[in-house]
Amino acid sequence: MKLTLRVNGADHDVDVPRRATLLSVLRDDLGLVATRFGCGAGQCGACYVLVDGAAVASCLMTVDQAVDHEIVTVEGLAQDGKLSPVQDAFAREGAMQCGYCTSGMLISATALLRRSSHPSDEEIRDALAPNLCRCGAYGRAIRAVQRAAAT
Amino acid sequence: MIDGTRLEGRIRVERDGTVTAFSGKVEFGQGIRTGFAQIVADEIDVPIERVTVILADTARTPPDRGTFGSHSTEQEGPALRRAAAFARRQLIERASAKLNVPADRLRTEEGVVRDGDGRALAYAELVAEGPLTGAIPDDVPLLPRERWRYMGKPRPALEAVDIVAGRARYAADVRLEGMLRGALVRPPVRGSKVRNVDDAAAKAMPGVVAVVREGDLVGVLAEREDQARAAADAVDVDWDLPATAAGETVVLPLHEDKGIDAALAEGATRIERTYVCPPIANAPIGPSAAVADVRADGATIYGSTHRPFALREAAAKRLGLPPEKVRFILTLGSGTYGRSSSFDAPMEAAVLSKNVGRPVLLQWSRAEEFEWSPSRPEAVLEASVALDASGAIAAWRYDEHTNVHTSTGFDPAYGGESSGRNAVPPYRIPHAQVTLYVEPTPLRTANFRSLAASENVFAIESLMDELAHESGQDPLAFRLRHLDDERLRRVLERVAERAQWGTPRGERRGVGIACTSYHGTKVAEAAEVEVSPSGAVRLLRLWAVIDPGSVVNPDGVRNQVEGGMQQSASWTLFEELRHRGARVLTSAWDQYRIATFRDAPLAIDVEVAPDPAAPSSGVGEPGAVPAAAAIANAVFAACGARVRELPLLPERVRSASPAR
Repeated sequence: MKLTLRVNGADHDVDVPRRATLLSVLRDDLGLVATRFGCGAGQCGACYVLVDGAAVASCLMTVDQAVDHEIVTVEGLAQDGKLSPVQDAFAREGAMQCGYCTSGMLISATALLRRSSHPSDEEIRDALAPNLCRCGAYGRAIRAVQRAAAT
Repeated sequence: MIDGTRLEGRIRVERDGTVTAFSGKVEFGQGIRTGFAQIVADEIDVPIERVTVILADTARTPPDRGTFGSHSTEQEGPALRRAAAFARRQLIERASAKLNVPADRLRTEEGVVRDGDGRALAYAELVAEGPLTGAIPDDVPLLPRERWRYMGKPRPALEAVDIVAGRARYAADVRLEGMLRGALVRPPVRGSKVRNVDDAAAKAMPGVVAVVREGDLVGVLAEREDQARAAADAVDVDWDLPATAAGETVVLPLHEDKGIDAALAEGATRIERTYVCPPIANAPIGPSAAVADVRADGATIYGSTHRPFALREAAAKRLGLPPEKVRFILTLGSGTYGRSSSFDAPMEAAVLSKNVGRPVLLQWSRAEEFEWSPSRPEAVLEASVALDASGAIAAWRYDEHTNVHTSTGFDPAYGGESSGRNAVPPYRIPHAQVTLYVEPTPLRTANFRSLAASENVFAIESLMDELAHESGQDPLAFRLRHLDDERLRRVLERVAERAQWGTPRGERRGVGIACTSYHGTKVAEAAEVEVSPSGAVRLLRLWAVIDPGSVVNPDGVRNQVEGGMQQSASWTLFEELRHRGARVLTSAWDQYRIATFRDAPLAIDVEVAPDPAAPSSGVGEPGAVPAAAAIANAVFAACGARVRELPLLPERVRSASPAR
């Protein structure tokens, strides 16, 4: 089906199967591959995107459900070529190893800071708990969110 | 084949003055690209921003046995350093000829060769006459430590900005013109043979381009991934199930002592213990993925593996191409901690691509990743130990029962190094007998971070704790009285200090310690836990002190050790791969709990305590090794429950707790 998605501030016309996941359309039709496949069941957080400012598993959302919503992926977090405070803080804290789960964490952290500008340690853990990281960079990611909140 | 003993195979000074370095090693987030760049930038004397490190491209980098065992910095660091030093010397020689000044009156500074009179030649100018070449001598003089600007100083990973900006590219992110998506048709059980394939329904489905059968591999190729998966479900394969192969146990003595029985019998105190580690999943966040573009005259494979050159050989054989016609190009990889020592997705993508003559991206589903990947084998560790009248260890018999730990199968010549890794304790023991039993298993088992060291050190360091408590000795002092290795003693004493060993932590809280020596790296760790009356273990803090010899990037070391401890804490507290015979029963994250942000300790305190006199040894694996015992020992200290079987589930802790 033909439809228009609003992603990273621009309208994109796509022609895709109706039940295609938002994740597959972002990755395979719009070339926004920083949103990653991890489980296809909303259980790991690797595919999170912002939908109207909230962190959502794009592997569970179908493309038709995404129409008329404001979608932001990691590629859309930077403004005018400048990394967002969350992106910058993750890079400076070295809050990653392999980086496969990082996109999802950045999305969860961005959504958190939008609704709570100075979150407690507990709030950060709760907000990022859906984002699994096998390399074990949790401690650094918590520090990165704290750093981003302070800027 | 690129010759890594020659300068042109290792370092290229480009016409614009930037430097490209080449290594066959692989980056999975261990930070080796950053470490290599630090080494090369210092030794050739350019700003690090001008250095690019190309890893594991079989057409461009020297061959390499593989990235495992935490050997990258130890093996490649010195080779790259010598190459960079040799390049710097050649640049000085060229400047010497051009300026007509003896070489010993010239010096380098940030990509420029200078004489004492204000004349300077940029590296870019010096390579205009032709590339630097030649066999790298062993004895090329290296820059002294005081000239280093990068080595030994903390530095964020070079990939970090690309990763947060969304520019990093992993195997599944590769997009080629005309690329199809693949999905495999899985048999009921591993090793099944194809009897017949009915693909009529699948072929009629939307987007389907081909159904491939080659040998016992059956897969579907479609324009979109969901189309390929839907069609794969619709392929009807008649499978011949494999007969259960019995297999044989290989017995390998790792340390022998003829007098062991007598020494055990003569001991004043004797204890016997059995420790159990279940099979666990590597469980990478990114399921296996690869892109292959196989044409009649050659093939290119994009992906991530621990053994890129062996993968090329295997792919060439499978595709019927000469190895020089197959190129493997490394992408970034999801951390797999050993899992991608097996070549599954790259080989499958190659076979699928070969059959349609178009590029193919294959990414496994989460269920496939759990059910079809190799996993860490289970281990049963049986120990019998005698203490003498003074409480010192008199005799130690240790039998390790486990399965194959490597994708290449069990090789008795390396048995002590693979399935028997760290089975021999680092302690002074008059009579020690250590035997490895590699037993058959219906599960597919292979490499996982540190191979058997994590299991063995869990058993050995739990046992050391038990021996200390049984004989009324302090666990730290008990270890120290049996340790001659000065560097290991130092990290152990230091971690005890940092964790305030001996200071009571209050109700139901306790601290445990453990240590090990791993491929030359010395590491000691401590854990503080709180145990609820129902047996739930809450990990409060972790400490590590690590001495990996000379350190290139202290923050890289810290990151690896923090991550290793966090991952090991997850294994220890939560993980067990459930299976019935050959069939893995876990197919999703909600059936395989790993640590989340909520389970992360309040702090992980890592002290990097280098020994600059010792060569660099590894840090990727050793941090993960002693954590399990440190946590189990902390649980004992907190509530008196000695749990000898992992994971430390609440019901196990509760039932091991002494009656109140």
